[in-house]
Amino acid sequence: MRDTFTVAALISAGRHPVSGTPRACHVDAVAMALGRWIAGDALRVVHAGAAEEPSLQDYLALGAGTIEVLPIGAGNDPVPELATYLRDVDIIITGNNAERGRGSGLLPYALAEALKRPVVSNALDVRLAGSAEAGWNAEIRQFLPKGQRRRIACPLPLVISVHPRAQVELKYAYARRVSGRIEIVASQTTAAPVIAPEWTMETASRRPVRLKAQDGKSAHARMQSAIVSEAKGGVVAFEGTTVDKAQVMLNYLREHRLVDF
Amino acid sequence: MSGVKRIDPRRPYRLSPSGLRRIVLGESSGAGLRFGAIAHSHEKVKPRRAHELAKFWHMAIAHSNRGRLDDHAREAVAAAAIIATLDTGVVAVILGELHEDIAALGADRIVVIPELDVARFQPMREEAVVQALLDEYRPTHVFMPDNMLGDGDLGRRLIAKHDDSKAATQVVELDRQHVSVRWNGGAVFAKSILPRFLLLAPGAVDTDLPFVGRGETMSPPQISNVTEIYNDLGLEPTEMSNIALEEADFIVSAGNGVRNVETIDTLARTLGAAVGASRVAVDEGKFPRDKQIGASGKTVSATTYFAIGISGAVQHLQGIKSCRHVIAINRDAGAPIVKRADLTIIGDAEELMQALITRVEQARNQGEAAEVER
Repeated sequence: MRDTFTVAALISAGRHPVSGTPRACHVDAVAMALGRWIAGDALRVVHAGAAEEPSLQDYLALGAGTIEVLPIGAGNDPVPELATYLRDVDIIITGNNAERGRGSGLLPYALAEALKRPVVSNALDVRLAGSAEAGWNAEIRQFLPKGQRRRIACPLPLVISVHPRAQVELKYAYARRVSGRIEIVASQTTAAPVIAPEWTMETASRRPVRLKAQDGKSAHARMQSAIVSEAKGGVVAFEGTTVDKAQVMLNYLREHRLVDF
Repeated sequence: MSGVKRIDPRRPYRLSPSGLRRIVLGESSGAGLRFGAIAHSHEKVKPRRAHELAKFWHMAIAHSNRGRLDDHAREAVAAAAIIATLDTGVVAVILGELHEDIAALGADRIVVIPELDVARFQPMREEAVVQALLDEYRPTHVFMPDNMLGDGDLGRRLIAKHDDSKAATQVVELDRQHVSVRWNGGAVFAKSILPRFLLLAPGAVDTDLPFVGRGETMSPPQISNVTEIYNDLGLEPTEMSNIALEEADFIVSAGNGVRNVETIDTLARTLGAAVGASRVAVDEGKFPRDKQIGASGKTVSATTYFAIGISGAVQHLQGIKSCRHVIAINRDAGAPIVKRADLTIIGDAEELMQALITRVEQARNQGEAAEVER
């Protein structure tokens, strides 16, 4: 049943946020484990970048098996290469944000656009239903803030980006790290690589400056607004029976649409 | 000693325009339903940002939440207005219903599309509507909040579609020319020229503006039916008591004034809320440590926060800084929580909780009965 669709996990080089030590990018490792859960041993693990990258060893230890490396120079756009290489893969699964480099979370969307496929972000769980004849359908549990979860069904092929809270077990095994292999794949496109636009770097040793509107207020007005605390506080209900007070609370909840009854 | 006239230190006062406290003579505290802060300082009418006709446009796109914009969405609209020059107009595109006026955020034109509510997942329809608006206004810059409520997703779809390699996500700093984002997991700032699409990180913009926009409401564009490839199977019903406090949207929190823990659990179940506690209640052993809210506990961002029997020490108020609606039940009308709360009920916590439980259950049953009748 499982060999009727193909799954590839994209992994990126990770760095520890404090020490900078090379490690597996957590959310990519989670995505790889989720891919392993869907596809079993048929999962392909792909890395676009340098084969010498030390963090790839961590992925091997976490059960990558064989990592296919697409050699791409630093700063080049990996999307055209990946799109060509993965055009026959049904499910491309990856983490929602990289730990190193831009970490903008744009890659799954750019890849989906290049392959003209749907993309579902922040997945917590993926289940596949259907058959080879009727076509496969992926049912995805999506993370939403405030404790909400949404279920989305989508036909294959598609791109899935995974949220770090996905419930998978990550097991590190040194034996797998030793037995795993890294294969370098020939470059896929002959087109000249696109150079990303210029960004100037600066060590983040200061707090970012908030964007504020310039106001033409006088110095006196500015001083006033700094020393006068704004009258704050809401409605206070002192008297009445407890039933009346309960009604006041319920009215407040209803007025602001905080409850649905 | 007994002949000394006692003065209520919390007698009603109003703030004069210059910010001085003025006692209201002839009134004593404890008479009926009353506003805690009686008079607001004089509200000055803010001037329009631009009087000329707009030659260029900035667009802000955001989903509304329960008919209102959250702080993050407001920041996106304000950013569009602050960055705009005098010949640039600001068009705010609100996906979902809107029950408030956002001209104060600098929006000159407001396009509300009520059927694209955040509760439903319909990215292709959203993309089509936004594309129609992008074609109509041809904005030089598009500002969106980078959240997980759907704006971050829609923004990235638009960036991918327009193949904007300069686009910036999680923008932490911006001005008229430049934009800064964090790279390498926050270790470095990367600076670039202001791109066409900007997804803003929370807290990058101050929404206090010295001007207002025109606030004209425009009719949404007509889009023929779009077939959605994604099939939204709906939101999962979640048991609020099971989810982490940091994620909860409705929290009932207990403090020293709560004697009976069972009542607060019942109230939480009735309202569909998560249970939190102040440090005092946790120290007494009534609640586990992971329920503690405040400086040494958890920082929560619920939309609704019930503070029951909590006086509101600064450490606790720090933990509930980003809660939108705070409702307090307290015995003491002078407790610091009263200044923070949007609604304070003075009285005994146990009695009021019982009354509220009864009233909410009644209301729920009535609602169900009304639905059956229909």
